Amino acid sequence: MISVADLLTHNRVPGNYFAFETYVRGDLELGLLENRQGERLLALPATLIQAIYAGLEKETGQASRLVLFNCGKWWGKCFYTRFCEQLAGYYNTSVAAMSMADFLQALQQCWRCHGWGRLELDQTYQASGFLVVNIWNSPYARLAPAGHHPVCHLEAGVLASFFSSLAGRELYCLQTTCESMGADCNRFILGLPHRLEPAETMVTNLNHDAILQQLCPASAP
Amino acid sequence: MSPHLATLFDEAEHRYLKPEELKQMSQYVGSLPERIVIYRTLRNRELEVMQAVTHQLQLALPQAGQVELERSLRQALLMLRHCAMAMLLNDETIIQEYVSWVGPTARIFNTLSLDILLCRLLNQQLAQLFSSQQLAYLTPLLQLAQQAFSAAPLPPANH
Repeated sequence: MISVADLLTHNRVPGNYFAFETYVRGDLELGLLENRQGERLLALPATLIQAIYAGLEKETGQASRLVLFNCGKWWGKCFYTRFCEQLAGYYNTSVAAMSMADFLQALQQCWRCHGWGRLELDQTYQASGFLVVNIWNSPYARLAPAGHHPVCHLEAGVLASFFSSLAGRELYCLQTTCESMGADCNRFILGLPHRLEPAETMVTNLNHDAILQQLCPASAP
Repeated sequence: MSPHLATLFDEAEHRYLKPEELKQMSQYVGSLPERIVIYRTLRNRELEVMQAVTHQLQLALPQAGQVELERSLRQALLMLRHCAMAMLLNDETIIQEYVSWVGPTARIFNTLSLDILLCRLLNQQLAQLFSSQQLAYLTPLLQLAQQAFSAAPLPPANH
């Protein structure tokens, strides 16, 4: 028979590491935000995010999307490392030993806890080599200047880098819908660069489903 | 402490508490000795209760896999600990956070029927352990937590 005592780890039942109430801690006297491990958290004021968009646009023009994407890639690489360290420490197991469902659920909780919105994965096109990530309530979309193109280049870079580290292969990330353009959520397609990059030009004249049909006609629902 | 009561302390510089707010505070403080008794019982007898549940669960589902059983039992332990803390502090938000996290997992691993049976057995064990008066503190929170294993859509997350 299963022994309940054996199910406990040092009398502990690991739960949701990224539960907001326990993950984010503030020190009023010092004016610092920390996570539950005592690592510093950075709160980005809306004005700063808006200023980054405006400043980059002024300084680099059209290249600003590439700057943000590459910043996101760097951020995503560090984020993946920290994320894995935190999970491994908390669950007392290596990330490789975790089930993919637990890992991805922790990612969703982490994303939400940091105020980056609600993230969900759509694995409909996984067999064709594409993963769709949907994000609702993104502050980076909400604070971006409205335009005719998706603007979450920073998040696209983070996702590309995070899932590249997870898959062990270089992946590209393409945003197809954006809340800043009135869409219900931000949709991102992840896949191998040589398969996904040609779809970059489709974003201006095709919707999300049509782009996926072009990318993988055989498996479109 | 419930977020509603906690916000009362922020009012100190603005006003004195209204009679109904004082009554709420008084009710919570008056219920604290009983809440502490329930919490202490749960803390001290957690393993005994859960071991009895485990025994009954394995008898009821002899074909269930060890991995699935262990996963569901861990979630039930977690649920009981969250309910105990929520009961002690009279704070439902602890449970809402738990539900938003556990619900999707139960669906992904397709352990809903196992979890529902486990919850029923756990409720039976707790009914033997506590008086009806004590259960009145615990049952609403257990029911809220066990929404995670219902077939209905989960309530939206707060953040």
